[in-house]
Parts: sequence; structure tokens; C-alpha cells
Amino acid sequence: MMRGQIALSGAVCVVGLLVLTGAFALPDQAGYSTVGPAVVPKIVGMALIAVGAMLIHEVMRGGFRNHDEKAERELGMDWVAFARISAGIVLYGGLIEHAGFVVSSWVLFLCTAKGFGCNRWLRNGGIALVMAIVIYLIFNRGLGLNLPAGVLKGLM
Amino acid sequence: MDAWHFLAQGFQVALAPNNLLWALVGAMFGTAVGVLPGIGPAVAIALLLPLTAKLDPSGALIMFAGIYYGAMFGGSTTSILLNTPGESATIVTALEGNQMAKRGRAGAALGTSAIGSFVAGTLATVLLTMLAPQVIDIAIKFGPPEYFALMMLAFTTVSAVLGESTLRGMVALLIGLAIGLVGIENQSGQARYVFGIPQLADGIEVVTIAVGLFAVGETLYVASKLNRVTETMERIRGSVFMTLDDWRRSWKPWLRGTLIGFPFGAMPAGGAEIPTFLSYATEKKLSDNADEFGKGAIEGVAGPEAANNAAATGTMVPLLTLGLPTSATAAILLVAFQQYGLQPGPLLFETNAALVWGLIASFYVGNVMLLVLNLPLIGLWVKLLAIPRPLLYAAILVLATMGVYGMRQSAFDVFLLYVIGCLGFLMRRYSFPTAPVIVGMILGPLAEEQLRRSLAISEGSPQIFFTRPLAASILALTLALLVGPWIWKQLNKKRASVPAVA
Repeated sequence: MMRGQIALSGAVCVVGLLVLTGAFALPDQAGYSTVGPAVVPKIVGMALIAVGAMLIHEVMRGGFRNHDEKAERELGMDWVAFARISAGIVLYGGLIEHAGFVVSSWVLFLCTAKGFGCNRWLRNGGIALVMAIVIYLIFNRGLGLNLPAGVLKGLM
Repeated sequence: MDAWHFLAQGFQVALAPNNLLWALVGAMFGTAVGVLPGIGPAVAIALLLPLTAKLDPSGALIMFAGIYYGAMFGGSTTSILLNTPGESATIVTALEGNQMAKRGRAGAALGTSAIGSFVAGTLATVLLTMLAPQVIDIAIKFGPPEYFALMMLAFTTVSAVLGESTLRGMVALLIGLAIGLVGIENQSGQARYVFGIPQLADGIEVVTIAVGLFAVGETLYVASKLNRVTETMERIRGSVFMTLDDWRRSWKPWLRGTLIGFPFGAMPAGGAEIPTFLSYATEKKLSDNADEFGKGAIEGVAGPEAANNAAATGTMVPLLTLGLPTSATAAILLVAFQQYGLQPGPLLFETNAALVWGLIASFYVGNVMLLVLNLPLIGLWVKLLAIPRPLLYAAILVLATMGVYGMRQSAFDVFLLYVIGCLGFLMRRYSFPTAPVIVGMILGPLAEEQLRRSLAISEGSPQIFFTRPLAASILALTLALLVGPWIWKQLNKKRASVPAVA
């Protein structure tokens, strides 16, 4: 019933374990420096495992303290909305270097608006296009930043 | 050191036309991000960090500081009219201010919070002006062990003392410290946790973390959990300039709120929530209208609003004099200093006096600008709240991804942004504080450096932390703050159980 909390606490322990094993793989050049590059990573790794274990202990004794799990559950969870926005960001990452800034921003805007349940595609598409082009022009022409033109290379 | 003399010189910097312009831009931008849900001062400053390459340090820092305290002014507007606290420091305002708005007193609520913010911001800046030279006189004698001890204290207060849960705060801090470890360690040149990915060798950018945790995480949370909740916006009724009676009831809470808020910010404690709750409790106790509390008492808005503004200004004391950030936004301001190769601390007051005092002087100027922006022009900002949610969050994500990608033209950063966004979602879902992540990732590498220097002085002996009285007492205080509450609870438990047995 507290599966989420247990999983999250376990994940903290796993991250700690990863940090710790990574720290042992680092060479400890204590010879010419009193605090080698592995010292702090080891402390952080061990501390993460410790707080993760304490979190598990807390969950076993009734769940995270001062956290209203019931209220969170009552809010529900709209995974479709989550997936739509996720798709928007991941698509942006995949598209940006090929299709360019304007196209990928346009896709992200539409995915996010849809994620919030908005179906006015024509209006949203128009706003997204104008916004992306204006930002592109401001940054590339005005501030000398290099946002990729992508497929619109000849046009912009 | 004569503070007022330096301050006068600072005004010459702050009142230069271009710096006035940057203060105005910062104040306006800050008010806007404060009013808008889904984006806060930390994200706004992080997204604007690339501008440091184009602007001179005073202009950029004056603008960033304007965003910081501008957001404090703007945040209260949203709390009062929408009852959704824009920031955790405005929870109390959301409670009491929204009640006032529901009873047709929105104008007075907005008025008392804007004027209270101005009074508190200005008085807190006066306190900052007087306190900074004193702190510097002490700080100049600090060595690496003292700085290390102070950083441990800041870690503890930021994550453990001022939150809902010490444990979850510590988790957040350690996640931040772990993120700060990624990249090439500057002492040995050793790559840590890079996994052969070239983008990780340079370290993870604070922009990606701040924008991911706050903007992307918030967007995912609102879309998947809060989108069915419809908000009703209260209309502004009544004058924002308040009646004589409102003034009479507000002025004392403003002053008390300032006195409660400033020390919380100025001690390396950070967090503006606790002083707002304290101020609220104080006002309720002292008020002749205690029965009005919970139903829209003006004192319950005036006090906490002053407290959170004073606390925000107070965080400038440890940031400027010690280089110690105690909030997410202060941590990002520290990064802005670092972009210029500047390290806040006692030395900066000597080497860059014009810059630091110019910045402090700009707080006075900015507060006046914000008063004008938030009283006569309040109607303008309220219009921002009419932007439909889908469009607002879509635009926020477009700006967020642009800022993260544009930093070094790397698609990898966009994917990393998404991962951090999911982390931000989980942290919000399970009530983890996010500010310690940012403070941890920024302050972590600095603390490691101070630890190394300390042990270099003592030739490897950790005794140096116990034999130097100041370092030892700060570390003792840190330990007391960390385990004290727990021991206290165990003792009380025992005491409570003894009579039960007898």
C-alpha cells in the first residue's frame, strides 16, 4: 500500500550504492593531496545509503512523516497527460539537431497544450509558430546565439 | 569601514542610467515570474545566466537581484487572488489574503502586501547595509576550516531544520551533492561519474537542474495531478491604497514582520517559510481582532508578507559577505558571480567595492520601482493570470528547453532535463524539498575545496576542526541542530512515559 514510498526509498539506497561503487573505482591519490578525489564521493555514497535506509524505516512505521499521502492519492494521476508532455520534451531532444529550433519548439508546444487537455489545435499551432519564430529571430539575429535553423534553413 | 560612505558610492553605480534600466527590467521580469505560476525566480535567473557573457557584471547582477525580490512582490498577488501560493513563502498569504479577497477586500490585501513588502525590503536593506561591514570584519579572519564549518551549517539549516522532514531534506541535499560530484574534479583533474559521456565531463549545468526540477517537474505535476482542479480568480475590489483603518492595523505587523524575517535570512538559515508562520502566529496573538484570523484579517497578510521580503533580503548577508547561498535563488545568484570569475566574500568588498555596494544600493532603488509597479499598475499584472493554463505551460516549456539547449547546443542536455524533470515530479509528489538539491550541487564542490585546504594546513589531521574555537563551535552547533530535535523528542518521550508507569 506504500509501494511508491518503499520503491523511492529503495531507489535512494541504490543511488547511494552506485555512488559508492563509483567512488571505489576512483584512484585515491592521497600521496600528494590529503583529500583525494574519492574521499567526498565515498562520504556522499554512504550517507545516501544511510538516509535511504532511514526512509525505509520510516515507511515501515506508517509512511513518510508530514506527507499527506491520502491527499496525493485523491488528486489522482493522469498518466496520459504525463505521457503527452514527456513525448513533447523527448521529441524536442530528438528533433532539435535535425529539424531545427522552430519545428521542435512547435511540436513541444502542441504536445504540452494537448497534455493540459486543450484541443484548439489551430489557435495553439499559430501561437506556437509565432512564438518560436520570434524567439529564433531575437536570439539568432539580436543576441548572436546559435539556435539551429534545421529544415527551415533557406527560409530564415 | 564606513558603510554609508560606501553606500553613497554604490548609489552612483546604481543610479547610472543603464543600471537603472537593468533594475527596472529585473523588477518587471521578477514581478511577472512571481505572478505566473509554474515559473519562479530561480528558473528565471538560471535561464538568463547566458546573458552574463554579454552584459557587464553590475548590470547583470542588478537585474538578477531585481528578479529575486521582484518575484517576492509578485508572488503575493497570485496567492491573494488565486489561493495558490506561488512559492512556499506565500502559503500564509494565500490563506489569509485569499479570505480577504473572497470578502471583497482584495484591494486592501494587495495594498498591504505591496506596501509591507516595500517597507520590509527597504528596512532589511538598511539592516544589510549596517550588518555587512560587521560581518566582513569577522569574516576576514576566517580560514578554510571556518568556511568548511559554515558550509556544513548551511547544509544542515537549508535541508534539515527548516522543512517538513529532516530526513527528506537530507536526501534532497545528498542528491544535490552527488550531482555536484559529476565532472572533472579541479584539484586532481580526475573525471568523476562521467561514464565516458563528453557532456558530463564539464559537469552538469545548474540551469539544467534548476529548470528541470522547478519548471519541468512543476509542469508534469500540474498537468497530471492538478489540471482537473479549476481555480477561481477573485476580482480586485476596494482600493489598493487602503483606508486609514487598514494603515492603522498594518504598520505594526510590517515592522514586526521585518524584525522576524530578517534574522532568519541573515543567519545562514535560509528559507522564508518559517518566519512567515512565526509572524502570522505573532500577529494573531497580539491582535485585538484575533477572531478575524482565518477569515481575512489584514494583520495576517501584512506581517507574513513583510517577513518573507525581509528574509529574502536577509539571505543577501551570508551570500555577499561569506559567499554562502541559503536558498535556491541565492545559489543561482552565486553562479552568476562565478560566471564573471567573482567570488562573493570579504575580499570582494575590497576588490570590487563599487560592484557590491552598487548592488546593495540597487536594492533601495528596486524596492521603490516595485512599489510603483505593484500598486498603480497592479491591474496589468493581474492580466497575466488570465493566460489559459495550456498556453502558459506550453510557453514555459518552450523557453525552458531553449535555455537548456541553447547553453551549449547539446541535445543530451535536453534528455537530461527530462530526467531531472521526472525527478522533480517525484520530489513534489512525495513532499521532498527541492531547494537543497540546488544548494548542494553549488556549495558541494566549494565545501570539498575548503575541506582539502583545511587538511592541507593541518597536514592531514582532522584535529584542525576541533582545535580552532570558531570552527569547532560552528560544527558543534551544526551537530546540535541535526540531532538536537531528535534527542529532545526521545527525552520528552521518556519523561511522558515515566509518570505513566508510576
